[in-house]
Amino acid sequence: MNINFDNSAGTFPKPESVRRAVANAMRRYGGNPGRGGHRLSQETAEQVYRVRKLAADFFGAEPENTAFTPNCTYGLNMAIKGIMQFGGHMIISSMEHNAVSRPVYSLTRRSGVKCSVADLCGDPERDISVLEGLIRHDTLCICCTAASNVTGRILPFREIGDLCRRRNIAFICDCAQGAGILDLGLKDGIDFICTSGQKGLYGPTGTGFLVSSGRFPLSTIIEGGTGATSAELAQTPFMPEKLESGSLNTAGIIGAGAGIEFVTTRTPEKIRSHEAKLCKRLEEGLLSISSDIRIFDADKPRAPIVSFLLPGESSEETAQKLNGAGFSLRGGLQCAALAHESLGTISTGTVRFSPSVFNDLGQTDRLLNVIDGIMRKKKAH
Amino acid sequence: MPSRKKARIAMTSITYAMKAKELLRSLGYSCEVERMPKGLGSGCGYSIIIYTDSDVITALLEKRGIPHKGVYPA
Repeated sequence: MNINFDNSAGTFPKPESVRRAVANAMRRYGGNPGRGGHRLSQETAEQVYRVRKLAADFFGAEPENTAFTPNCTYGLNMAIKGIMQFGGHMIISSMEHNAVSRPVYSLTRRSGVKCSVADLCGDPERDISVLEGLIRHDTLCICCTAASNVTGRILPFREIGDLCRRRNIAFICDCAQGAGILDLGLKDGIDFICTSGQKGLYGPTGTGFLVSSGRFPLSTIIEGGTGATSAELAQTPFMPEKLESGSLNTAGIIGAGAGIEFVTTRTPEKIRSHEAKLCKRLEEGLLSISSDIRIFDADKPRAPIVSFLLPGESSEETAQKLNGAGFSLRGGLQCAALAHESLGTISTGTVRFSPSVFNDLGQTDRLLNVIDGIMRKKKAH
Repeated sequence: MPSRKKARIAMTSITYAMKAKELLRSLGYSCEVERMPKGLGSGCGYSIIIYTDSDVITALLEKRGIPHKGVYPA
């Protein structure tokens, strides 16, 4: 099996506790939570609430303001469209994933929403000044990532939270790469934490969270059965059921809870420190192989990601060679065209190295040996 | 509704019912979550069954911002 250095797309392998939790859920918790008074439903509802509380505590929220989503993209769509679907102005950053840029683009085309893209350079003071300069009388929110999924660059999310509080606008934060790695929560002034359960939180695929501060009510973009207020045609008006139409992914949710427990026990600080050590080893190794290897955002505070490009070939070619040698890394645009435009890598993409808590220095050194071999072959030609 | 020992408190949702149960048990009160019986309330409601003066319990819920929809005999 390949060694996985593409953990930004989804951590793998999963902790044993997560695998056990999912298997146990499939055996024991088959009732539909919140949909009946019988024991199977109640027992499953207990488990779902337990995970809701775990996630709420993890991000400093109330359980009723913590909604389950199928992934981060769904959470972002629900938050962005829930705030913006009746028009207004919003601001996004130049480092966004398509999970932000595409729904925003769609709103600008279909709903008359106006959007400004803040060109952020990585200097927190300048970046905040740029963002503040873009706020208009009709600005409803700033939506940006906590850490870029391309380079790992950490945006000044705490300062952005302060800015949004001062100007009384909502702050929607894409925490797909930050949750489980960075110390972030509602305490940082974030109004909507949108995140995946399957990345830094080590849960199963098909899980995510939309965590709200409760300051800004969201309009719904999906309506249906919630298990509450069933006699009414209007959507259930209160959280979290308001945002959870249809049956929940109970086995995934229970697994995501085990993932949060795993991260809480290890602590995000220790996980980040371990992964940062591997990133440092890779960066130093790459630079010692050749000064022609480009590393992006190397001088900026970053989540544990190294985005690089070998000279004379596309990122996809490099990723393919590494795959052939037994290493899974992501080449191309990583679904973040806006960020690549900003980095000047839209035509080449970058190769992304993103370790997890299960990778080690030995694996990193073996990857460096393979890259050294690729570079030697290039020189020989 | 006069206070009574065993009572049913109608909750707005399963989430608030669970939250109430967690709160009350952490304070040493017995509490169970049950479906609202047919004829009480509307829609697919949930309730908590309590075994303490309902005025005490509803005051606790209100203090913690947990909404409820009324007290019924259990």
